[in-house]
Amino acid sequence: MENLQMLLSGFGTVFTPMNLGVCLLGAILGLIVGAMPGIGSLAGCALLLPLTYKFDPTAAIIMLGALYYSNMYGGAFSAILLNIPGDSPAVMTALDGYPMAKKGQPGQALMTANFSSCIGGFIGMIILTFTGPALANVGLKFGPAEMAALMIMALTSIGWLLGDDPIKGTITTLLGFLLAAIGMDTLSGSPRFNFGNIYLMGGISFVPFVIGTVGFSQVIGLMVDRYKETELPKDKLTLRGSMLTGHQFRRLLPVAIRSGFLGTFVGVLPGSGATTAAFLGYAAQKGFKSEEPLGTGAVEGIAACEAANNAAAAGSFAPLLALGIPGSGTGAVLLGGLMMWGLNPGPLLFTNSPDFAWGLIASLFIANVIALAIALGVIPFIVKILAVPVKYMIPAITVICFVGAYSTSNSMYGVVIMVIFGIVGYLFNKAHIPLAPMLLSFVLAPIFESNLRKAFIMSQGSVSIFFSSTLSCVFLGITLLLILAPTIKKIVRKVKASKTQA
Amino acid sequence: MKKYLALLLALAMMLTLLTACGDDSSSEDGTFTPSDTITWYCTSSPGGGSDIFSRKITDIITVNDWANGQTFVVDNKTDGSGEVGRLTVATTKAGDQADHTLLTFNSGDLMPMCQNTDNRVENFTPIAIMAVDKQLLFKGEDTPYATFEDVLAAVESGTAVTVGGSKGDDIATYEALMAELGFSETQMPYITYDGTGDAITALLGGHVDLLISKPAAASEYVEAGMIEAILALSNERYTGNLADAPTLSEVADGKYENVEVPVWRGVVGPGDMSDEAAAYWSEVLRQVSESEAWQTEYLETNMLISNYMDLASTQEYMAQYQADYLASIGKDK
Repeated sequence: MENLQMLLSGFGTVFTPMNLGVCLLGAILGLIVGAMPGIGSLAGCALLLPLTYKFDPTAAIIMLGALYYSNMYGGAFSAILLNIPGDSPAVMTALDGYPMAKKGQPGQALMTANFSSCIGGFIGMIILTFTGPALANVGLKFGPAEMAALMIMALTSIGWLLGDDPIKGTITTLLGFLLAAIGMDTLSGSPRFNFGNIYLMGGISFVPFVIGTVGFSQVIGLMVDRYKETELPKDKLTLRGSMLTGHQFRRLLPVAIRSGFLGTFVGVLPGSGATTAAFLGYAAQKGFKSEEPLGTGAVEGIAACEAANNAAAAGSFAPLLALGIPGSGTGAVLLGGLMMWGLNPGPLLFTNSPDFAWGLIASLFIANVIALAIALGVIPFIVKILAVPVKYMIPAITVICFVGAYSTSNSMYGVVIMVIFGIVGYLFNKAHIPLAPMLLSFVLAPIFESNLRKAFIMSQGSVSIFFSSTLSCVFLGITLLLILAPTIKKIVRKVKASKTQA
Repeated sequence: MKKYLALLLALAMMLTLLTACGDDSSSEDGTFTPSDTITWYCTSSPGGGSDIFSRKITDIITVNDWANGQTFVVDNKTDGSGEVGRLTVATTKAGDQADHTLLTFNSGDLMPMCQNTDNRVENFTPIAIMAVDKQLLFKGEDTPYATFEDVLAAVESGTAVTVGGSKGDDIATYEALMAELGFSETQMPYITYDGTGDAITALLGGHVDLLISKPAAASEYVEAGMIEAILALSNERYTGNLADAPTLSEVADGKYENVEVPVWRGVVGPGDMSDEAAAYWSEVLRQVSESEAWQTEYLETNMLISNYMDLASTQEYMAQYQADYLASIGKDK
């Protein structure tokens, strides 16, 4: 109860016209920057951080919170409307979001994303409020062995995304692994698979890679099929046409709540972040009933990953505030922002400056509501993008792809990567090879590799380290169940069938 | 005919050179004044240590108008783990551009550059060293060893003691420590984390036995009583809440020498930068290092030791550091 009281006093600090105005400004800017592919929340926050210097500390922090939050909202916009994920967690959103927009429900898809984000965010924050520093301690229990086991489980669940042809899916999954291996070996610090190329020494950057495989490949597809007109029903692109039906809302609610809890938990873990959360949220949804199959534009699919993604963002504040450890790159930028104000986020923050810590949590709540309001406000206008004829869309998306790829590292390297993988992506699409498994293994493989190797260094090469902790045993057990599930189902069915026959 | 043509070309070239010098206010009285936007390269991403360093310096210069009213653009060149940015600066051609290009260059940049590429300090004009830092070894609540002597005893009796640290310069210090102690990497394995924050998390969670870290990153946790310094990797003890940590020569009855690998933050320009420009930037950075803002907002916040070096000392220092490092990885020839 004490925590709740502190939170309320936090709200007291935040509610001034000035602070709310700043929050609004942060939310609008964050949304715009977040919606631009390639910029994403990390660079977005870093770019807009200097803006906050103009305000007093409380207002600045509120603005940062709003920026961070609305950035996460913005990422979904381009994923759903253009199939270009604005940042890495949005890869999952695009899986169902884009098909749903194609079905003529772009407004509903965006609303699903935003409502689920909001619900997920709230769940994360509520958990953060009540458990506070204690939540951070859960994350500490995760050492290399536990993380490696969790990643094995996550990688196994890629199996759900393989599509109709498991062999093709497995090949792309492994291709993702190979591509992720290029660059600096994080443990020894020496370059590998760079073939003497200085650019490859830094590896393949994720953002141009995604923009290419998912976004630019589609531009190529559009150009090839430019004479095949697919008209969208125009009446769907109005405000009323964008509204979620009560039935759709009832579909997203339980999913978002469930995913919110899962996402918060994943966000607390060291070095896993929002992408892993979004993916696990989506994968977990595969285990539950969805009205339409996932991947064909199901409300449940969008809700599952968006809620998990935003809950993870809130969850990552637990180690940030309680221990001063940023869970992600964006967290590190926020940490830098906090330190500019002479605050030392760390184990003493809650004791030394409780006003500030709770003010920040309170401002996250407000930022969440304001970001939702703004996002909902722009939906009716932004969906009009889809009414733009293909001949104008092709050059526009091309420009977005190039700018996004260039801005990752301010160099043509990103553009080259983007174009190459755009072509690869197009060919894969033609051959009906699924791309999502490749993107996911690309994200998860480095986390898996570094933790696996750390675990083996610690145990001096002995496998026993994976069985010595309860947590990793649980994850490995679940993995085993996942693998055996289809076989068990089949056996149970056979036994039942034979019984009924007998 | 050919001769005349060559002469004509040479003349034309001299003319362009002269006019170029005319634009650039550097030549006439042998001094240099910035006449264009200055590009400040930083080979790590926005928000990181090098980025904050670069932006703080450029902020101070801009606020005090020490660069003839010219603007600074901090360019984060992160391609190829920073090697692309370093190569870009190293190969910048002489002239206005070279005189208006600066690069944040730290010991943590020099080491991978020497290890993985053929780029060397000689391709740059070292301008200044601004600050140095050192490391300590810390233990956490779950660490079964009370003192560093206990650690030594455990390793000698065959127990592996794991050390966590960041992927940057902490590794060089760890290697120097191993060389002094005569331990192999299996006796005291090093676990590389992406950053010190991650390594601290691992120590707090009891996943590594010891942590190697600079004082600033660990300070808060020492204050909160969550970790404790057990060995200072420097020639003398620290002060404040780190004062209890002995140096290596103090433990084990003076069996070992102290281990100290200074981690420095510096600034370099392209190898082709003119001497006038190098002198100018060196002077500007001296002003920065003496400014109030630098002392309180940068050095104190990051618990760094101010260590401004002028042109000559910086050049000598960086060259010596590189020679020592190359020798340590067996690349000296």
